[in-house]
Amino acid sequence: MSVSSPAWASALGVVAVVLGIFLTAMNGNELMKHAIITQPAGGEEQLAEPDCPPDELAEEGVSLAECEQLVAHVRTITVSRPDWFRGFYMSLAALGAVVAFASIVVGAALIDGRGWAPGAAMLNFGALAALDVAGFVAVVNAGPLLRDFYLWQLLLWFLIHLMMTVAAVVGRQGGPLPRPAAAHGRTELPADRA
Amino acid sequence: MSTTSVKDGNGYSRSAVLLHWILAVSIFFLFVSSWWMLALPMPSEIFKYRAFPFQLHKNVGITLVFVLALLLYVRYRHRPAQPPADVMRPWMQRLAVVDHVILYVLIAACCLSGYLSSSYSGWGTKLWWAVELPNWGYENEELNILYSDIHLWTCWALLAVLAVHISGALYHAFRNDGIARRMLHL
Repeated sequence: MSVSSPAWASALGVVAVVLGIFLTAMNGNELMKHAIITQPAGGEEQLAEPDCPPDELAEEGVSLAECEQLVAHVRTITVSRPDWFRGFYMSLAALGAVVAFASIVVGAALIDGRGWAPGAAMLNFGALAALDVAGFVAVVNAGPLLRDFYLWQLLLWFLIHLMMTVAAVVGRQGGPLPRPAAAHGRTELPADRA
Repeated sequence: MSTTSVKDGNGYSRSAVLLHWILAVSIFFLFVSSWWMLALPMPSEIFKYRAFPFQLHKNVGITLVFVLALLLYVRYRHRPAQPPADVMRPWMQRLAVVDHVILYVLIAACCLSGYLSSSYSGWGTKLWWAVELPNWGYENEELNILYSDIHLWTCWALLAVLAVHISGALYHAFRNDGIARRMLHL
């Protein structure tokens, strides 16, 4: 059988690429979310009435009640966010976007059979899991509204990254990938690794 | 697992690989951010939350059209070899071609309809906060809604076709037949 990287590396690599794309986008959006919503609780926006002109409601297909709730939706973040949360979470999101983007490269390297890929995958997926834990701890200390917003998804991402880290550790124990990066030749895999 | 694989050097060029992944991240960012930004309060004197995300959405969307055009040019200049029939059956190859064509048409349609909707909304577009784009349209609510609907439905269709596209990539990566590696070659 002639393949360029073991099946585990190819499977783990494509999962890392697909999730890495999505997570980069998610972290980018999270960064923008906290950058945009700047008002601390008690600011002018806390007291202002929502502006819901009927033509805008019709254009966006939302009811008056929904339009009013859009403001409450933002207030959920501003009233439940401790002073330290915004800066901390933006830093986590920025770091998360970089590490998630790196996971696309690492995933590609796994599929491409690069020798350094399993070690890098272990570190990269481990870093993503560590960021999930840091986010989880921050949100736990924020308050019930933000916990409802974030905790379940942070837990889900942590479990996914934990599985990926363990998969990379186990894959790495099988030895380096058979295809050196510089050679770009095809290599026969032992039957038990293919 | 496949018994054969695609030879090295038969994949896409590095430029095509890079442009493909820039497109992928940008498209997912546009989806995720659009769902969030439409849940922000409607614009008023007090509530100006939407200004930045909407402008960024337009900037990324317009830039995507140019990235897509560049990708098509690069792919035209460097066409990867056809995979062997035992790795990718003829019907799969036909499906992949159809999927790619629909994908490219939908990306372009989604971005252009979004720009046209914005043009007819009366809101100006300053590309990356630097270049004032000519307002091709005029303020017209009916056309704004028409292009907005086209934008909405082409984007939902794009998401569906993307799911097919990703399924195909996962299928080949799990089979480890070398097809997925053609777009992941560093």
